[in-house]
Amino acid sequence: MMRPIMMKGHERPLTQVKYNKEGDLLLTVSKDKEASIWYSSNGERLGTLEGHAGTIWSIDVDKDTHYFVTASADFTVKLWLAETGECLHTWYFDSPVKRVEFNHICDKVVIVTDQAMGQKASVRVLNVNQKDAKAQDDQAVLTITNEEDSKNKYSVAGWSYGDLYLIVGHANGKVSKFDAKTGELLQTVDVHEGLITDIQFSEDRSYFVTSSKDKTAKLLDVDNLHIFKKYGADAPMNSACITPVKEFVILGGGQDARDVTTTSSSEGKFEARFYHKIFEDEIGRVKGHFGPLNYVAIHPNGTSYASGGEDGYIRLHHFHKSYFDFLYDVEKTAQSQVNNLQKEIEA
Amino acid sequence: MMSISNPSWADAEELPQNEVIENNDGTKTIISYKYTNGKKIKHTQKIKLVKVTESVDPAVATRRKWKRYGAEKNNKTVGPDARTTQFGEEVKLILSNSWAREAKQEEEEKKKESKATSKAITCRTCGGEHFTTKCPFKDTLGAEKKPESATAGAPAAGSVPSTPTLGSGASSYVPPHLRNRGPGAPPLQDRRERDDSTTLKVMNLNTAATEDQLRQVFSRFGNPQRVTIVRNRETRESRGLAFIEMDSIRTAQAAKDTLDGKGFLSMIMSVDWSKPKKN
Repeated sequence: MMRPIMMKGHERPLTQVKYNKEGDLLLTVSKDKEASIWYSSNGERLGTLEGHAGTIWSIDVDKDTHYFVTASADFTVKLWLAETGECLHTWYFDSPVKRVEFNHICDKVVIVTDQAMGQKASVRVLNVNQKDAKAQDDQAVLTITNEEDSKNKYSVAGWSYGDLYLIVGHANGKVSKFDAKTGELLQTVDVHEGLITDIQFSEDRSYFVTSSKDKTAKLLDVDNLHIFKKYGADAPMNSACITPVKEFVILGGGQDARDVTTTSSSEGKFEARFYHKIFEDEIGRVKGHFGPLNYVAIHPNGTSYASGGEDGYIRLHHFHKSYFDFLYDVEKTAQSQVNNLQKEIEA
Repeated sequence: MMSISNPSWADAEELPQNEVIENNDGTKTIISYKYTNGKKIKHTQKIKLVKVTESVDPAVATRRKWKRYGAEKNNKTVGPDARTTQFGEEVKLILSNSWAREAKQEEEEKKKESKATSKAITCRTCGGEHFTTKCPFKDTLGAEKKPESATAGAPAAGSVPSTPTLGSGASSYVPPHLRNRGPGAPPLQDRRERDDSTTLKVMNLNTAATEDQLRQVFSRFGNPQRVTIVRNRETRESRGLAFIEMDSIRTAQAAKDTLDGKGFLSMIMSVDWSKPKKN
């Protein structure tokens, strides 16, 4: 049993929730115009970031938690000072910005602009001047434009290990790998049959999990974009994350908001689903949201997870001991064998 | 003189001093006295002080001290604000590789339970939970009744030829409230045909008045046969109107003459015949 903390800081559906590096802060953005910053230990709200004029699609934080960066449907990306919530810089674009993510050393962000308003979708890399945050370069250092039709547009993007590659998810279910320096397309694979809704990386950023509207999530490696694992669900998936400590994957999703009225809420499948990362089995579910889960995020130490729903609630769950104790029988036997071997060696 | 249930500051002096005893095992025993509801209570607490050292990342500790900003700038609540942060209901997360199977089982059990609790059908023969036609006692209970009604129904129909016995024809429709009426049952009274000659109508009643109170008031004049307060169908709130059937016209007349225009529960009642007298 877990007692979730319910955080109601947004009026409209959540779009992303994210922990900072130490996991003490939880950042949430929604379709209203504010981002909220919370203490993850008790759900207390530190503050809000005010300044955007539209839906905030995405938020990220640098590794020292000095800056936040937000991407919004008002065609801007904003840089904020984490301590005071002050807006330091605004980058302007020609179409909604759907995604933003800092690279590992936090001197760059990758953004995804939407294919809208007659603009082509693009993945861009912006320099972030850490020393003088108010003096930012407005020009992107790298722009990758989608030259194909809108079905191929980019939906999500992230940095691989060592900031070497950009992993980009497409609306048609493809995943591409670009060279982060030159922007050269290195590889494209067909992964899903529907829009890729989320890409979240493992701790070492050598592999990642994709979630898709085609009701599946898949585990791929960065080097070859090889599909290792597939997690099947019965509803469109909006988000997936890889848990540290335990070998699990958490999926969040549910029937689309516009289809919800066609079924009863108990059948809306608005649950966080836990899958075993290796065995691909579904091992548990957590109920709670009244609408689809739009994003799930896991604490960097694996001690809690947060989900942001279409219902406007953020639910923060701290795991109990049983979560950490759970092992497959094969895992248990393997562990006892290892223990026995160690004893023998010691003897 | 001060009452015990309301101790004043002067009484408080009588309480013994709090005692703190240091025990050998490092615990403390605190004995305190206080008044609760006029009773002197001795309160003994055993306390063990434990120092817990928690190491926190310095960066996290500094962030913990950050001032609130944005919408929370003027929020002075210490800790989480109940307006934004609440605890949800407990949720289950039982990890198991046979999760799907167990969930299905649980659901089926729930369905069964809900079926067992909802008593949708009742047998008319034995009152059991099945259709009347499927009744296991059909042959014993049902068989005895049938011939009885068949034989008894005939003379009744003969004496009142104008009103056909309800349900006597196999195909004729019988309204639900008239079904299963024994042949000996008195003929159904229409509400309009009921003898209301001894019934009084009481208006402008206090809505707090109950049937028992009214019965008490009217029993001074006779024996009230029936006391009914008209109530709102949903809220069961009295509408300030009641009907009282007395045992005779004489007692009813006496009650009407005495009580009409008299106060009852700070309202002036108006008592009248429930129906205008025919003559």
